[in-house]
Amino acid sequence: MSVRIEQPSVTIRNAYRFGSFGLAIIVAVAALGARMFDLQVMQGQQGTQVSQEQSSETTSVPSSRGLIYDSTNKLLVTNIPNFIIQIVPHDLPMADKPVVVQRLASLLKVDPVTIDQDLDSATGSFYDPVVVATNVDTDVARIVDENRDSLPGVQVLSRPLRQYTSGPLFGEILGYTAPITSEPSAADKQAGYSVGDIDGKAGLELEYESLLRGTYGQQTVALDANGQPIPGLTTEITQPVPGSSLTLSISSKEQALAQKALAWGLAAAHVQMGVIIVENPQNGEILAMVSLPGYDDNIFAQGLSQADYLKMLNDPTLPLINKAVSEQYAPGSTYKLVTGTAGLEDKKITATSTLLSQPYVIIAGEKFKEWNNLGWGPLNIIMGLAHSSDTFFYQLAQSVGLDSLTYWAKQYGFGAPTGVDLPNEAAGIVPDDQWKTVALGSKMYPGEEAQAGIGQGYDAATPLQLLNAYCALANGGNLWKPHVVASVTAPDGTVTPVQPELIRNLGASPQNLETMRLGTRAVVTSRHTYNLVELPIAVAGKTGTAEYGVKDRLGRLPYHEWFVGYTNADPHNADFSGTSSQLAVLVFTYGADTWGDVSTEIVKYYMWLHYNLRGNALNQRTAGHINTWAFKRTNFAGTANNH
Amino acid sequence: MSIFRSEPMKLRSWSPKAASLTWRLYDIQLTTYAILLVLFGLAMAYSNSVGATHTTLSPGSPFVRYLMWTVIAMVVFLVTTMFDYRWLRTFAWPIYLVNVALLVVTLRLGSSTGNAGTSARWIVVAGFGVQFSELAKILMIIVFAGFLATRQAKINSVWTVIGAIIVLGPPWILVMLQPDLGTSLVLVGTLVGMLFMSGASLRWLGTLAMSVAAAIPLVWANLLHPYQRARLLALLNQGQDPRGSGYQLLQAKTAVNAGGPWGVGLTNGTVRMPAQETDFVWGVLAEELGFFGSMVVMVLFVALLWRLLVCSWRSGDQFAMLVGCGLASMILFQVFVNVGMVIGLMPITGIPLPFITYGGASLVSVMGGLGVLQSTNLRRERPAW
Repeated sequence: MSVRIEQPSVTIRNAYRFGSFGLAIIVAVAALGARMFDLQVMQGQQGTQVSQEQSSETTSVPSSRGLIYDSTNKLLVTNIPNFIIQIVPHDLPMADKPVVVQRLASLLKVDPVTIDQDLDSATGSFYDPVVVATNVDTDVARIVDENRDSLPGVQVLSRPLRQYTSGPLFGEILGYTAPITSEPSAADKQAGYSVGDIDGKAGLELEYESLLRGTYGQQTVALDANGQPIPGLTTEITQPVPGSSLTLSISSKEQALAQKALAWGLAAAHVQMGVIIVENPQNGEILAMVSLPGYDDNIFAQGLSQADYLKMLNDPTLPLINKAVSEQYAPGSTYKLVTGTAGLEDKKITATSTLLSQPYVIIAGEKFKEWNNLGWGPLNIIMGLAHSSDTFFYQLAQSVGLDSLTYWAKQYGFGAPTGVDLPNEAAGIVPDDQWKTVALGSKMYPGEEAQAGIGQGYDAATPLQLLNAYCALANGGNLWKPHVVASVTAPDGTVTPVQPELIRNLGASPQNLETMRLGTRAVVTSRHTYNLVELPIAVAGKTGTAEYGVKDRLGRLPYHEWFVGYTNADPHNADFSGTSSQLAVLVFTYGADTWGDVSTEIVKYYMWLHYNLRGNALNQRTAGHINTWAFKRTNFAGTANNH
Repeated sequence: MSIFRSEPMKLRSWSPKAASLTWRLYDIQLTTYAILLVLFGLAMAYSNSVGATHTTLSPGSPFVRYLMWTVIAMVVFLVTTMFDYRWLRTFAWPIYLVNVALLVVTLRLGSSTGNAGTSARWIVVAGFGVQFSELAKILMIIVFAGFLATRQAKINSVWTVIGAIIVLGPPWILVMLQPDLGTSLVLVGTLVGMLFMSGASLRWLGTLAMSVAAAIPLVWANLLHPYQRARLLALLNQGQDPRGSGYQLLQAKTAVNAGGPWGVGLTNGTVRMPAQETDFVWGVLAEELGFFGSMVVMVLFVALLWRLLVCSWRSGDQFAMLVGCGLASMILFQVFVNVGMVIGLMPITGIPLPFITYGGASLVSVMGGLGVLQSTNLRRERPAW
């Protein structure tokens, strides 16, 4: 039985209105259907390609940059997570800009004004992203990324930072990276570089850029209406291949010892610039290389203001330049190696024949003085080197002639980059007629030829060239290509050791080289280097003083000081007729107008540290007082340098 | 105010009828069309789950979630069918209050969605994001039906129109505050349809339409969010801004074009669109199923609307008739605006396509509404013819 509803149940079923509604349905669906017909049947299949282009873009997937280890596998360079935040102005509607900037600023905890300034000062296309924050924490980056719907145009990118764990210790060797800021060159584009990519700018980061970078992958990213990648809609085309890792031939310990010795010497002598390089003469491996003043690579990794960068760039002490390879200086008396070898090889002299050293010699009507204004009487080549007699080598240079000097200089590697695996290597200058004609428009004068024989005048060499030449002497005549990277480890773990590369054999007779080595030992034993001989180990080497620049009011020129020395494999073996040396050290101090030979003292301190000579009586007495100890013993009033 | 007078409870009219439910009054066609549309929705969810990345189905994929929502929707459909719809009329005002309360909760606790600006549309319930504004569409149909049924005697009065607007006011403002332009438009469209079908004075409805038209500039300047304005402007300048708001339109049109007469086949669509699982699902459907597939879906919608009107026409009382007309208005409005948006006839608004759009609350709400209508079918007083 049915229940009747009390209320008068007059359902007003208005047939006209039902009809109208039905008509509305038909009209609406007909309109949609007609439009669909038009779009799909009449214009069907059009524009499919266009949409593909608009809705996706191919982006590169950064590869993980290779790491760098020291010779003891201590990590020197690593990647740490870091994010940057950028805004694509086009994707940020003008009306939303204040809100978005405010919101982003509060997330980043910065003043919104700075973001506004970044945006307003950006030049270039509306589609070019403007970086508004670097070094963003993972947490903050995550929050910004999660809120990207309310932050139109804002992008969060992962940009791992390079971290240089040893700070400034390996500064110029490792170098630094920086993001590419302007449109890369066609060649770089071909190699897969685009704006924002990390690119090595100095040191090994630059030299080994392609190995460290690896290969960037490629992916196709579907974009939403805001030009933002749609999560989950990425298609990988190629996978990124991580970069290779480098292992240096330098150990942190050795580098630290060298740095300590150099820093001590520069501070004690109030000298600003200096270089120390340690090399293994047997294979060209660099064991330490410090150029002071240097810089901490991390300041570049963390972003350096333009002002700070310009300040470093214009600093007269060249902190940004690896002075061991990129700067060239007159080699001074160290260059007598070339002249002596040339003389012996040309048979102008023998190991025992003598030349008369005298207060001065006259060449082409000009007086060329002995450095002590006296001379030592007749000297053979060994003693000529030992006293570093200028007049001896003026005469020798005159007799061998410019061609032979040039030939032997080039045999020793002067005048050409050594090929070390560091960027921006200077070539040095070996002055000959051809060079001078090109550079200065006239041939070499006889006086200049004599100057060239003692490493003055136009001669110029990088510290590394000079050390490498002495390494060739120490190892019996093989000029090795120096290198700082000992091995390269591919991402799959394959280790490729860097093979020693012989540039050339000097072509000098072993006897003559032995004579020259005895000469370098005589430099030390004759006390030309003062108390270096007091070390309980046997060192051979050669000092150098090179004048440069402008004379002061007393007519004196400022000068650099060099010392390049080496030891036998058994450091206590004082017989340098052998070729066993595994350690050669060069120290260069720039503008070392000081009493005593700073460079020699630095080498001495380095040797003391390297061979751990702490147990020795001499050093026990002076431990902790190395500063005063060194210079009291080298104070030599009258002649401040020892050639 | 007398216009808000509630229907007095009359125990006699509540007598349960479940034991003698006349199942031959059940509209099997209506249910069939609805289920076919749900199957299309499932197909689209599958395509969006698998086609986009060509990966295997994962538990969190749209398809699996849509499947779960379908189960829930079917349960809701059965429950509302069994439930005596006259209780709803009695409880129209409590339902109204619950509806407003849910929208307030959404505003306070809701999290932002995908498209633009900060918005609070979603409440997460047991891991599912629920849009109470979808539920509000159905609840408001019940509230309007209850209200207009009580106004039956004075349906021609201007107060019917004004009262309806006052009833609409609070939920409409709450929805606009989320901000959800789409849902607020659906509410207005549904109300207009129901007023029209209830027999309200065309004169006053016309006056209302004109005053709304007059208010548009004010709304434009003060109420619309910049992104909403940008979307409306993009409709007028299609192709002007291929990476901005116009981009969505271009992409959608490209997808529809790419479908051609026969479509590229399920999961074979390549044109990527924003919100292609939800508001722009029609673009995927048109591309993959082509013109003929789209027309099949369109015909299903027409058939469903036809059955809704038939049920309304046959229904035994004003409330039941208005529920049917409300549902028909809502579905027609949503289909027209959503499909029109994809093919560039309407501006971009966040209005889901009933059944097809991957959205649990939308599906559950619509199925619930259909269940209420089936409930009126089962309980009508006499056969209509």
